[in-house]
Amino acid sequence: MIIAERKPMEEIKQFIAPYKKVLVAGCGTCVTVCWAGGEKEVAVLASQLRLARSAEGSEISVLEATVERQCEREMVAEIKDKVAEVEAVISLACGSGVQTMAEMFEDKPVLPAVNTTFIGMPEKEGLWVEMCGACGDCFLDRTGGICPIVRCAKGLLNGPCGGTRRGGKCEIDPEKDCAWVLIYRRLEKQGRLDVMRKYYAPKNYRAVKRPGKVQASKA
Amino acid sequence: METKIGVFLCNCGGAIKNIDFDAVAKKVAKFPGVTCVNLSSNLCLEEGKEKMISCIREENIEKVVVAACSPEFNEHIFREVLEKSGLNGHLLSMANIREQCSWAHEGDVTEKAVELVKMAVNKVRFLQPMEKKAVPVNREVLVVGGGFSAINVALQLSRVGLQTTLLEKETVLGDGLEKLESFYGFYPSSMISAVEGDRNIEIMTSAHMTAVEGNIGDFGVRIRKGGEEIFRKYGAIILATGYKTELALDSEPKLRAENEAISGINIVSQEQFCRMLRNPSLKTKPKTIGFMFDFSDENSRFPTLATLNNALAAKKKWGSEIYVFYKSVKVDSEGVEKLYQEARDCGVVFLRSEIPPRITAKNGRVKIEAKDVFLGEDVILACDILVAEELYLPAEETENLSSLLNIRLDSRGFFQDENVHLYPVTSEKKGIFFVGGCRDDLDLGRVLTDISSVVINVNELLSSGKIPVDVERVKADPQKCVACLTCIRVCPHGAIQLIRADNSKEVAGISDLACDACGICAAICPAKAIKFQGYRDEEILAQIEAIGESSNGRIVAFCCEHSAYPAADLAGKLKLHYPENLRVIRVPCAGQVDVFHILKSFEKGAAAVLVLGCEDGACHHITGNIRAKERVNYCNMLLKEVRVDGRPVAMFNVSPNAPHKFVRAVNEITKITKESGR
Repeated sequence: MIIAERKPMEEIKQFIAPYKKVLVAGCGTCVTVCWAGGEKEVAVLASQLRLARSAEGSEISVLEATVERQCEREMVAEIKDKVAEVEAVISLACGSGVQTMAEMFEDKPVLPAVNTTFIGMPEKEGLWVEMCGACGDCFLDRTGGICPIVRCAKGLLNGPCGGTRRGGKCEIDPEKDCAWVLIYRRLEKQGRLDVMRKYYAPKNYRAVKRPGKVQASKA
Repeated sequence: METKIGVFLCNCGGAIKNIDFDAVAKKVAKFPGVTCVNLSSNLCLEEGKEKMISCIREENIEKVVVAACSPEFNEHIFREVLEKSGLNGHLLSMANIREQCSWAHEGDVTEKAVELVKMAVNKVRFLQPMEKKAVPVNREVLVVGGGFSAINVALQLSRVGLQTTLLEKETVLGDGLEKLESFYGFYPSSMISAVEGDRNIEIMTSAHMTAVEGNIGDFGVRIRKGGEEIFRKYGAIILATGYKTELALDSEPKLRAENEAISGINIVSQEQFCRMLRNPSLKTKPKTIGFMFDFSDENSRFPTLATLNNALAAKKKWGSEIYVFYKSVKVDSEGVEKLYQEARDCGVVFLRSEIPPRITAKNGRVKIEAKDVFLGEDVILACDILVAEELYLPAEETENLSSLLNIRLDSRGFFQDENVHLYPVTSEKKGIFFVGGCRDDLDLGRVLTDISSVVINVNELLSSGKIPVDVERVKADPQKCVACLTCIRVCPHGAIQLIRADNSKEVAGISDLACDACGICAAICPAKAIKFQGYRDEEILAQIEAIGESSNGRIVAFCCEHSAYPAADLAGKLKLHYPENLRVIRVPCAGQVDVFHILKSFEKGAAAVLVLGCEDGACHHITGNIRAKERVNYCNMLLKEVRVDGRPVAMFNVSPNAPHKFVRAVNEITKITKESGR
């Protein structure tokens, strides 16, 4: 799932400074799950903006809307009437949602209120960790289902480095597990340590085409 | 067409003096939807109730507001009145104009009373009827354990006609009962044969629980017995897994090393000593015996009892010299004071020491060196046997069971969180109970009380085969739920599961039976999908809306109905006055207060917001007050972020019997508000 977190308020306040009527638009999928841009966060941000402006003594009218997936044109179209009413849209969706919105309403500034951070999973209530770097060339079959590209601080394909700490922790951050120790333990459990004997050449990230495109086979 | 709202004002037999009821009635009559306003002086008495019923019927009233005493007292009575009038009992909202208005302030409070009624009228507009239903439950009970508590719970449940399964991990029942025999004169064999002969009791030995799913009335339990796995359904689960004891010496490696060679011969446990006492072929009777207790662990109710019993028995049987080293004798169990006196009268010598005695062993004798508090001198005793201090500890499987059932342990690792809101034998999860030694250091009298309490509780729950519930009191809207699992992770009562209703997508399903109506889930849901009837955004915001219209800044206080709300009532009763601008919104738990509700209060012009919940470690819903505190901090951060100064949000812990603390909290926030220039 895509994880995002709200931008610093200063940044948001700055980019909405010129406007007197805005729409705070949430997304009901990934960013709702990670507490960054669902209906609740929309309500909180809208309330904060109203309070901020009333404290400054300047007017603002803040509308609120949350669509199921902001990265779908059809779903975004559902709020077009609300968008028509405002001068600018503040989107709490991931970058993909912001762009869909911006493309749909080309005459309106669509401003991002969250930073799209990574693809991850919840470790516990309210804490998400990065799991996938979306590198486009999945390596997990060789690493016991643990991605060294994002979970190793150095993104090594052939690890561990010489800096693993006692207790299997990372030299860069003693709080974090060394991904390669995790990989070793996992492969050991599966009796597949031989996989680690192989050397893997560095990935050629330049080969990843931007923008990426995925065409599913026609069913 | 607008809903017809009937408002009933009551002056409580003249006990509400500083409100001009005619003025209130005149103003209230103008509120939209209010079709009639009635004045009464005895609304909760038969006469008043009858008048209320006939008025509701004659005027075709659809929703009711009662402005009178605190809902803590009479809400249930007025709900019944509604039911009798043919309305759903939940279409009632109360304005507390007695305890939290008339009695709480000096001088005329008519204006405040009008505002409180307005809050109630605003709220009642949004209230929805709630259906009642009887949910069928499984009448079988699982009792985990095979000791004294487990056996007796099963026997008593059988007597009230409930079937039980005794799940014992050992190969036989009542393994540890021998120990108790000499203390209390039990005959384990008779207890076990009673269980074995009981048709309502199924015994499963060498078996343990491996997984549990579901909720009260319908627990699905996986049991591993030998090589096979059995799946069974139960309505309730009772844990009676007992305790274990350990010699206090075991924790000190040096002593253990010193005594390794002789331990078990010269230094023994209470249990080993019991066996020696019963052994007819014991060759030499010990002449001098030392006992020790209450040095390492102050929870020594049971060790005290064991020491006194064994010391007396040894004195009577062998006539030995007996010296008891102790820090404090715990005589709070029934009959222990007498036992202690008897032991002294028989010549058992008690030596009090503040620090644990030094123990050494040489040539088959144990040397105890202690500093006697009363003599003020060192005492050295060489004895044949030392019955060492025992620690009373949770049984091995306690931790495993707690994670399996997702229930909390106390700070010592026993079952049941230390929380005054939990009854002795109940857990935070409905339908799971504890009994006996697995929850505390208990003597027999207390264990018997536990057993009776559990039997009464379980019988009340399951005997009729169904439990009445309010249908969908708290519900996740399947259309809005994104299955983020947040509510499942935060529910303190384990009442929420992922369900797939009608083969549609997976959503959070809240069990009406297991839900304890705290609203923690509703306040945290990022999709705003969870609705708690009576406390939905609409209902809370409608109340805030009513208080927002005044100019001089109100303090909005969200008060937990288990703590701060009754404390506020008490403050009124005791005439402890506090600023009149306080407006209380009653909530089921401080954990139900949504950040958004706090921000909205400010949007509507509140000068400050208070969140008042239970004392630390005593939240009725376990984590509600902790979450409330976190949310208040978060809210302050949100306000700081947008540089909205001078809008204080504060959380205070107030117990229901602490009206002074309530008043202090209100004064405190008033002071902060004034300082910040509002």
